[in-house]
Amino acid sequence: MATVDQAVGWRGRLEEWLRERISVAVSEVTAATALAVLFIALSLASPYFLTADNLFNIGSQTAVIAIIAVAQTMVIITKGIDLSVGSVAALAGVAGAMVVRDLGFSVWEASAVAVAVGAAAGLVNGLLVSFARLPPFIATLGMMSAGRGLVFIVTGAVGVYSLPESFQLLGNGVIAGVPFTIVVTAAVALAVGGLLSQSRFGQHVYAMGSNLEAARRSGIPVRRNLTAVYVLAGMLVGLGGVIAASRVNSGQPNYGIGLELDVIAAAVIGGASLFGGQGRIVGTLIGAFLIALVRNGSVLLGINIHYQQLIVGLIIWAAVYFDQFRRRRLESRG
Amino acid sequence: MAISTKARSGLAMLAAVAAMAAGACGGVEVRDDSGGGGEGTTDGPLELAVVPKAVGHEFWNTVRAGAECAAERAGDVTVEWDGVAAETEVEGQVNLIQNFVTRGVDGIVYAATDSAALAPATQGALDADIPVAMIDSGTDPQPEEVPLYATDNRAGAAEAAELLAEALGEGDHDVALIEFQPGSQTNTERVEGFTEGLAQHENLNLVGQQPSHSDVNEARRVTEDLLTANPDLAGIFAANEPSVLGAVQAVEAAGRSGEVVIIGWDAAPDEITALREGQISALVVQNPFNMGYLGVANMVEHLREGTPMASADTGVTFVTPENIDSEEVQAVLEPSCDNPPVDQ
Repeated sequence: MATVDQAVGWRGRLEEWLRERISVAVSEVTAATALAVLFIALSLASPYFLTADNLFNIGSQTAVIAIIAVAQTMVIITKGIDLSVGSVAALAGVAGAMVVRDLGFSVWEASAVAVAVGAAAGLVNGLLVSFARLPPFIATLGMMSAGRGLVFIVTGAVGVYSLPESFQLLGNGVIAGVPFTIVVTAAVALAVGGLLSQSRFGQHVYAMGSNLEAARRSGIPVRRNLTAVYVLAGMLVGLGGVIAASRVNSGQPNYGIGLELDVIAAAVIGGASLFGGQGRIVGTLIGAFLIALVRNGSVLLGINIHYQQLIVGLIIWAAVYFDQFRRRRLESRG
Repeated sequence: MAISTKARSGLAMLAAVAAMAAGACGGVEVRDDSGGGGEGTTDGPLELAVVPKAVGHEFWNTVRAGAECAAERAGDVTVEWDGVAAETEVEGQVNLIQNFVTRGVDGIVYAATDSAALAPATQGALDADIPVAMIDSGTDPQPEEVPLYATDNRAGAAEAAELLAEALGEGDHDVALIEFQPGSQTNTERVEGFTEGLAQHENLNLVGQQPSHSDVNEARRVTEDLLTANPDLAGIFAANEPSVLGAVQAVEAAGRSGEVVIIGWDAAPDEITALREGQISALVVQNPFNMGYLGVANMVEHLREGTPMASADTGVTFVTPENIDSEEVQAVLEPSCDNPPVDQ
């Protein structure tokens, strides 16, 4: 009996796994098609769109949002959400700027400090979620407020200015003709994408997001893994924050207000599900660049800012609607 | 029409009960020792709430320095400085003002994040007999007894267009405008003033106008895109501190520093550095110190001596690489309570 049950269970699990894989791929294809259509439309509509300078600009402009959206995707896959990304990015950014200004740190040392600050904030989030059992929404809502408060306390509510030119290297530097920010974004996406899809840890992350209780029973160290996800996410947010600061050569206490909405939008457009267990880094990158193209294109074509926001809202609706429509069809077939 | 007389009288009763309850609550708040502001005068210590549009910008810290300077000179005046994190948190500021009213401070000096949304908050303070003075940005409508100590934004921005025209010289030039918070009164005044100023120069062609939402990163992004869309862009007017800093970064990253003329607004340390290095041609510099100073000084005089408060233009200074080291300009740029940039 036991062997028969196991066989059915395995087949069922395999089918479920396949179905999920297909439905995620479908939403990625949908978003990628939208991205391609928009890309071609903009190439035709503006003579300035398809130029190396503009494409590099878009890449650099999107780097911070893309990196933080990657972090957000990890958290969303665990059925969590991180509302504190804007505040933590600001905290990490001003921390990085302050150690450069006050302690004479190099831009690389400052980046390490910013990543450490992000990791610390992520650790607090993670412990609150996994050990104190706070819902992620609440845990990170608290961090969103506490983090912003800390930013204002450590800066005295004044921007961190008068930084040496060398601090700009991270945000404005170029490697072999390619902006450094793009290289960093690609490296982050590859590393996290690989971690999620290839490693045992990645499998556990998806398993925990699909069914936490089942994951716990099958022996996955749920608490430790959840904490690790928030710490990793925090590190990426810290990295994003210091890049943002470097791009404008100053630590801005007001940076990142509303950033959580941009990155959640990118993840959701790319196929991540707020119900957990679904989402891939490729999709999130597509989502981030889709939003970036709308913004870039609006300026190139002289479209009013208010339409940009309207368009992004429509894209979120459309992406999630088509996504669910297709998933339902797939499921009814299966 | 659909409401019966019975229901109507019921509603009226409900309203009456609510009004009584509100009255009772209000009664608890009345403090005898404060003198209630208004007609009477107050001796003894004063507690003033001073509320910026948002904390976190150089500009508002200078307002604070001015307010504290006036408080120190008047003696026995405490400045309670508190503000929301971003100019967009209109609701948060409404609540903050209401909380200060509830707390029963002696007077409120503040800058409205939104002219319409804050009008009821001002009225609420006046109804509680707490006098109000506005700094930087007023409300619409603005009650007669509430003064405004602010920059004439329209005139300053028109002059910015003039400075841009001077810097660019003869011939046709494409120019762009980086605004900050579409919908806010200050933003509208600067945009309109600049556009009116531009209209005087037929050779200047406004090819782009984008908002930064007072975020340096956003300002950099829209400026980069404007430079891409308009390869012949010759001049930019950026209408507040974050907009200017982002525009400077974008022009520098595009390798066009000094080629694209930037006229800025305000005087954060990095703006001054960029002006000295030739990345910015001129800055329209307000006198935030004077706003805080006049707001508090007039409020104290009103509370202690009953003098009615009258609105005043706090003035702008046009700072260029040529005049930046002069004494008057330095007094505005590095204001201190020892040598305040105010008419005494």
